[in-house]
Amino acid sequence: MQELSLELPQGGLTALVGPSGCGKTTTLKMINRLIEPTSGRIEVEGREVHEVATHELRRGIGYVIQQTGLFPHKTIAANIATVPSLLGWSKERIKERTSELVDLVGLDPELLRRYPAELSGGQQQRVGVARALAANPPILLMDEPYSAVDPIVRARLQDELVALQHRVHKTIVLVTHDIDEAIKLADYIAILNVGGVLEQFGPPADLLRSPANEFVASFLGRERALKRMALLRVADVDLVTGPVVEVGASVDEAQKVMAEQGVDWIGLRDGDRLLGWAWSHDLDGASELRNVTTEPFRAWVRPSTALREALDLIVDSSTRVAAVFDDDDRYLGILTINQIADGMAK
Amino acid sequence: MGAIQDFANYAADSSHWWGNRGILHRSVEHMRLSVCAVVVAASVAIPAAMFFGHHKRGGLAAQSIVNIGRAIPSFALLAFLFPLSLQFGFGLGFWPTLVALVLLAIPPMFTNAYVGVRDVDPAIMEASRGMGMGEGQVLLRVETPIAMPLILTGVRIAAVQVVATATLGGLFGFNGLGSYIFEGFAQQDDGKLYTGAVGVAVLSFFTELAFSLVAPRATPWLRRDRRPDVAPLDVPPRKEVFS
Amino acid sequence: MLFGANGPNSFIWWDWVDRHRDLIKDATFEHLRLTLIAVVVGFLLSGLLSVIALRYRWTYAPITWVTGTLYTIPSLALFVLLVPWTGFTTLTAEIGLVSYTLLILIRNIVAGVDGVPAPLKEAADAMGYRPVRRFFEIDLRLATPAIVAGLRIATVTTIGLVTVTGLIGLGGYGGLIVDQGVNRNFFSTPIVVGATLSVAMAVVLDVGLAGVERLLTPWARRKVAS
Repeated sequence: MQELSLELPQGGLTALVGPSGCGKTTTLKMINRLIEPTSGRIEVEGREVHEVATHELRRGIGYVIQQTGLFPHKTIAANIATVPSLLGWSKERIKERTSELVDLVGLDPELLRRYPAELSGGQQQRVGVARALAANPPILLMDEPYSAVDPIVRARLQDELVALQHRVHKTIVLVTHDIDEAIKLADYIAILNVGGVLEQFGPPADLLRSPANEFVASFLGRERALKRMALLRVADVDLVTGPVVEVGASVDEAQKVMAEQGVDWIGLRDGDRLLGWAWSHDLDGASELRNVTTEPFRAWVRPSTALREALDLIVDSSTRVAAVFDDDDRYLGILTINQIADGMAK
Repeated sequence: MGAIQDFANYAADSSHWWGNRGILHRSVEHMRLSVCAVVVAASVAIPAAMFFGHHKRGGLAAQSIVNIGRAIPSFALLAFLFPLSLQFGFGLGFWPTLVALVLLAIPPMFTNAYVGVRDVDPAIMEASRGMGMGEGQVLLRVETPIAMPLILTGVRIAAVQVVATATLGGLFGFNGLGSYIFEGFAQQDDGKLYTGAVGVAVLSFFTELAFSLVAPRATPWLRRDRRPDVAPLDVPPRKEVFS
Repeated sequence: MLFGANGPNSFIWWDWVDRHRDLIKDATFEHLRLTLIAVVVGFLLSGLLSVIALRYRWTYAPITWVTGTLYTIPSLALFVLLVPWTGFTTLTAEIGLVSYTLLILIRNIVAGVDGVPAPLKEAADAMGYRPVRRFFEIDLRLATPAIVAGLRIATVTTIGLVTVTGLIGLGGYGGLIVDQGVNRNFFSTPIVVGATLSVAMAVVLDVGLAGVERLLTPWARRKVAS
């Protein structure tokens, strides 16, 4: 590997991504000294890793691998308790911690008595994470943890990791070859090229918006804008009023609004409540807007919804817009494709 | 030491090398019997093992055979067959020893050949069939060469065991190198005793040596790899059949 | 012939068996004693040599070469060659018997430990296991099936070889076969009895060790229920 210089943010998840031979796993393993660097310094929390005894260093760093590395001859409970017992914790403390962890990673406590061979792949991975976190290390190293599980399980485990990180705020270093996984999970991404060359380092949104060079751009893959959309939320974008009127307004006003905005449908609201929408021809012959039967907006989102999902819903709807509601179901406004594009450009 | 002296004296005496009860003749007899036993056992055990291995059946039988085969003390088997042989008129010496040796040689040959054929990568077999090879051709052209290292290992183990056990035949009148040992006991002749022991040990070595030289030549397409010496059934296999 | 008109010329003369119960019992204990000493000593010695071979890889080849060579020497020849040094004693027999167990045990112990998947060992290291503790808690325990398999083979083989010691004057079933059978004009009953009991002992100990393996590896039997 060539010389590499990186500073990883504390409390955040950094992903090391790159093609085979880029040294991402090597870099990871140098942190807990499974591999020794030929030159240079590695500091964890201000201390050089060679200053402490190897086994002591490692007991303070969690390590999760693709194959889980669960000890087949120990029960799940014993597996999780590995580092605590190496550290000499008391039985009660271990037991308490184990229950905490089981809850944290989402495992059925019944599984504690079982052996790894009896668990599914997804469950095993969760145990792996629990085991790594058992002694509450500040740092967690993960080497392609989700590559060996099927996509459905993988997506779920990834979501669980994000949720877990919200609760525990560990410094996580994650190695993956899957750029989409990195974009989804990481606060910072380091893109490495063959030989350990650092091509770019920064938050995913920055990389997606401005890739440093051709290599990074092609590694990020096509549809970079769409990927960025996965990172941005409805809340980041301005909403419009759209073709929506109060239900107390007149039918003429409704028709005027439709004509102005160049659409053939109208949305009806009652203060904070959005009643629904109707086609313009449904208004023919209606004396009052209150008498018009409306359909609910099938495409609706919340401020926390990712833009990419919002776009997907909009494209699939009859109205070509999405209605936005806050967490208490109060109507906030209309989201259009134009708004999304404007928001991305900011 | 006296023992080495006795041995040297006996072996150096050239008259001891010739004649029907000489070192040369007995060595030849010893090897002749051993080769016979190995050939007979191989022609029985190996085809059968390959058949079962190809069809992936009889795993339990294979394990039982090797277990029982190992449990039967060769000496006891010989001791047991001789009176039988006498009773049925086959006499002492060659025939009962041959039968005992064949029975002893079968288990390791069978097991190794069985596992060797059975464990051929199914992907390779599928590819061969896909190319239009008939079952017989798959067995002959594909499985056999791939299984060859293990088959030869089995033959080697059996051969060494046979050469060793043929020694015991000397107690029952078989005119191999073992006779020196038993005559040496009976006649209190240490020279004979050690000649027999050393001779048999040397023959064993050469048998092992011969195989370690021949085996790599029979499978030139393999890298010079350290292969396990004994059938994988000895080290617990990962397949469910045996657990 | 087998169970017909029973007399001295039958396959098994049950009368003889009846009258010589004590003799048979003594032979059994003697055979067991010789076997157990050989296997236990062999196991300890093999354990030591295996640890050396695992720690200093380059010693594996020479160790295997020496033990393999010993293994090649026919049992009777080995006993005979030892006699001028150690006489017709239990020691002679045990040196020979122990030598034969070495190859199989060392090979199985080393293969067993090597067979533990590398990611597992790495995970253990990564969690902060120190080498010695890891060896005992992880490597050795996971190598148990291979080690017990080696013990089974060694035990069964030894039982068979102990019969050969009958030829150098020791007891056990071999003694029974030689003294009572072969030396008495090939009297078949003691031969058959000795041979059969020898096989029986092998089967019993083999099954027994298999049972011990089951006890030591509770994790191996459980599979994914979900």
